[in-house]
Amino acid sequence: MTRRGLSALIAVAVVMAATVPADAQGPIRIGASLSLTGTYAKLGKNQHEGYKLCEKDLNARGGLLGRKVEFVVYDDQSTPATAVRLYEKLITEDKVDAVMGPYSSPVTEAVANVTEKYRKVLVAPLAATTSIFKKGRKYIFMVISPAEVYLEGLVDMAAKRGLKTVAIVNEDTLFSKAAASGAEELAKKKGMQVVFKEAYPKGNTDFSALLTKVRAANPDVLAAATYFDDAVALTRQMRELNVNPKMYGVTVGGDLPEFYETLKQNAEYVYGATQWEPTLPFPGNQEWFETYKKEFGREPSYHSAAGYAGCLIYAEAVKRAGTLDADKVRDQLLKLEMRTIFGDYKVDQDGFQVAHKMVTFQWQKEKKVIVWPEELAAGKAIFPTPPWNQR
Amino acid sequence: MSPAVAVRHPLSLRVGVAAGLAVLVAALALYPLVGSGYGVRSTLQVFAWIALAGSWNLISGLTGYVSFGHVAFFGIGAYTGAILITQHDWPWPLAAPAGGLAGAALALLIGWPCLRLKGPYFAIAMLGLNEVLRALVSYFEGLTGGGSGLSLPTLDATRPIYYAMGLLAALVVAVTYLIVTSRFGLRLMTIREDEVAAEAMGIDTFRHKLYAFLLSAVGPGVAGALTARDQGYIEPISVFPLATTVTMIVMVLFGGKGTVWGPVLGAVVLFVAQEMVWARYPYVHPMLFGAIIVAVVLVMPRGVLGLLQTRYRLPRTI
Amino acid sequence: MSVAITPVMLGQVVVSGILAGSLYALVALGLALIFGVMRVINIAHGPLLMLGAYTTYFLTTGLGLNPFLTLPVSMTLMFLVGALLQRTLVFRVVDAPELSSLLLTFGISIALVNLAQLLFTSDLRAVEYITGAWVVGPLAFSKSRVIAFGFAAAVTALAFLFLQKTRLGKAIRATSQSREVAMVCGIDVQRVHLITFGLASALAAAGGSLLAVIVAIQPEMGQVWTFKSFLVIVLGGAGNYPGALLGGLLLGLVEQLASLFLTTQLSEVVAYVLLVLVLLVRPTGLLGGRQV
Repeated sequence: MTRRGLSALIAVAVVMAATVPADAQGPIRIGASLSLTGTYAKLGKNQHEGYKLCEKDLNARGGLLGRKVEFVVYDDQSTPATAVRLYEKLITEDKVDAVMGPYSSPVTEAVANVTEKYRKVLVAPLAATTSIFKKGRKYIFMVISPAEVYLEGLVDMAAKRGLKTVAIVNEDTLFSKAAASGAEELAKKKGMQVVFKEAYPKGNTDFSALLTKVRAANPDVLAAATYFDDAVALTRQMRELNVNPKMYGVTVGGDLPEFYETLKQNAEYVYGATQWEPTLPFPGNQEWFETYKKEFGREPSYHSAAGYAGCLIYAEAVKRAGTLDADKVRDQLLKLEMRTIFGDYKVDQDGFQVAHKMVTFQWQKEKKVIVWPEELAAGKAIFPTPPWNQR
Repeated sequence: MSPAVAVRHPLSLRVGVAAGLAVLVAALALYPLVGSGYGVRSTLQVFAWIALAGSWNLISGLTGYVSFGHVAFFGIGAYTGAILITQHDWPWPLAAPAGGLAGAALALLIGWPCLRLKGPYFAIAMLGLNEVLRALVSYFEGLTGGGSGLSLPTLDATRPIYYAMGLLAALVVAVTYLIVTSRFGLRLMTIREDEVAAEAMGIDTFRHKLYAFLLSAVGPGVAGALTARDQGYIEPISVFPLATTVTMIVMVLFGGKGTVWGPVLGAVVLFVAQEMVWARYPYVHPMLFGAIIVAVVLVMPRGVLGLLQTRYRLPRTI
Repeated sequence: MSVAITPVMLGQVVVSGILAGSLYALVALGLALIFGVMRVINIAHGPLLMLGAYTTYFLTTGLGLNPFLTLPVSMTLMFLVGALLQRTLVFRVVDAPELSSLLLTFGISIALVNLAQLLFTSDLRAVEYITGAWVVGPLAFSKSRVIAFGFAAAVTALAFLFLQKTRLGKAIRATSQSREVAMVCGIDVQRVHLITFGLASALAAAGGSLLAVIVAIQPEMGQVWTFKSFLVIVLGGAGNYPGALLGGLLLGLVEQLASLFLTTQLSEVVAYVLLVLVLLVRPTGLLGGRQV
């Protein structure tokens, strides 16, 4: 290309760049920091893809308030301090029109202080800790079910079968601790006896001593509030030490395909809890699952679905409010009742989620079969679990 | 200053440096009035890094005893501050120094047994410290909230904390200057160069190392308490990350260990680089940190400032 | 909500402690070798173990090899990596103040962990090979852990045999006793350093390969092993190679007993307190070693 041709092209580009934003109002820019590296990298990436797909779908449907939607995403390295700074940047320097939540409860808890300060609505799709929403904050909204109900299905089924004793073990981190105390409370409420409860540190790999104690306590049910690696290690060592309660369930990690791939037949009959499954009968869920696979070349996790749904919920509230004004959007989010691919959304006056339901599944013949709650169940639980050498 | 180390620089240079510093301090003091929320918070973070890196420099840069777990003092300060604020209603300006004291107390507990020995015992004892503290904090949940963390009452104190953190950073630099230009500092550096010789000269090496270590734990403790107040929420995983120690070490090594301004230079340059450049390449930058450490140790053990000092014959007390 | 501890439970936990301790001993022996010969604490020892574990993972899932048969491969590979590190980087700081070698190997460790993160991602991997247990009376012996124990014992024994019987092994021991005298006797100290570093890395890799069938593999799995290995060395006495065996078993037992009598949350704390106490009371290690 000649030099003159090039400069002409640049001139055209400059003119176009200068005129385009004047046409429309420019896109609605939604800011978020996500854990793209660090401890939560894998899950933060899934959430990011959920946001990306939401952005694409919204724009395909003509955008929001007649404007295009554009996400501005930074990496917070999974640390609250960095996330806090990035939200300040998004709000005060990038001057984004709206923000969406980061990944994980600790990060959301820290970020909420910033968004409240600037009166920004924060739909936080991946914060499951109750306390965040019960501190009198005005603009924060919850999408997923709280950690406390993760083991609800397991305990409820056990109580219905007339089981009497339960042992609870958990990782000593925010989420798992809340899940364990939720299980403990519920078990007591249902008249079951908690015969053993102990925490173990993050990154623990040897559960021999812990399981030796569980075996001595001989519970009907073992409820474990876990992440992935400890769920796998715990299950393996249960087999090795022949700890065989009538029901055994884990929280996070048990729903990942890797859980079965790693444990093979030893994963059979293990119960798990999940916020979302592609097989759940929500409108458009199946199609969304397929689109996602096509778009990113892999299967979505519930983090992807929650991110996607959270973004849609915010968009719906904006649509109904007809404006981006925080107080008006907030009013709509408080009133809104919505069913997305992720399930139901409805919050109380604190922005705390009350409609979304967790489901409990059991691994049966390499498949996750949803067994609780009854209205969503796809099959029957196999009870009690057979001895380890017959799996 | 002690005559043993007084280096007379030309008067004009000293006046120039003093004037420059005064302008810098004034500009930083006025900045919160005009800066954006992000700008203020980023500068606050730079102050925190200066305090952290400068503190690490006090023990490791001056005595050569490598502390691989300095984030432990930051974490213990954060928890002390948060507990005093939430459970005893202390105002944060009082809780922050208490965080520093807690850091020093922990340093005494570790330094007493480990600094008596020569060699790498100290380094390794520090290597495991942050994990151990994380476990302890998780275990004593009655006091610390365990894995659920501690939530502080909502309070927008970013601006006052900006000044407090700025003061802390300035104090750390000032203390470093006082030490480097004192007999005490000379003795510390003698220990670094040859501990046996230092002992032969009659220096009570254990005592000197311990004092330096205690001093080096105060800054991170205060910074931890201030950060806890500013963030409003802490939990064991986010206040005891190994990555914080790594960053402190890289900043000091890059700037120049054992110098007064090296940690400041390292903190500013690496923080800006991290925000401006590396944020776009999230996966590469931790690896780059490792590479920087290796390169600095092998190629320019005295860091950028050391290089400048040699080339331009700058005084050692910079 | 606790349970009463019975002798059977105690027995079960002692078994677990011994099984875990064998791996501690194996890995710590490597760190002890480098420390003894070069006075360098290799902070990257744990990350080398992690690379060994990944080697086994890829060979097992990729080529379908028996994970225990990958041991020689991962050991050879890490021997080369270790020797390369020594030849290119570490040799420059062997005689420098400790600060340099500690920081250098720390930098290598950070770089290796993040390189692994970049190449292998932080996804957890696992090699599922043998599950289940042999049951003897009331006690269960985890199959994978027992086999790992056997291999760990065998590799450790071979390493000792090598140190005791071969010319090279004797040269290594001589260098660790006194480098100057070794040099005078015509030992090529540079070569001894190279081989020591390689051998130590191979021992770390062996530990990693054996761990691969027991725990989940991820880039950060190794770092805690540097600390634990050092703890083992301190317990056994620095520079005292058989001490590493005793130290390893002791650490395994202490951790498991702490988990049983207190809680798993505190097992690491108990181990740490033990380290500080030993440093305070008997810094030469329980068996006694050379004062450093």
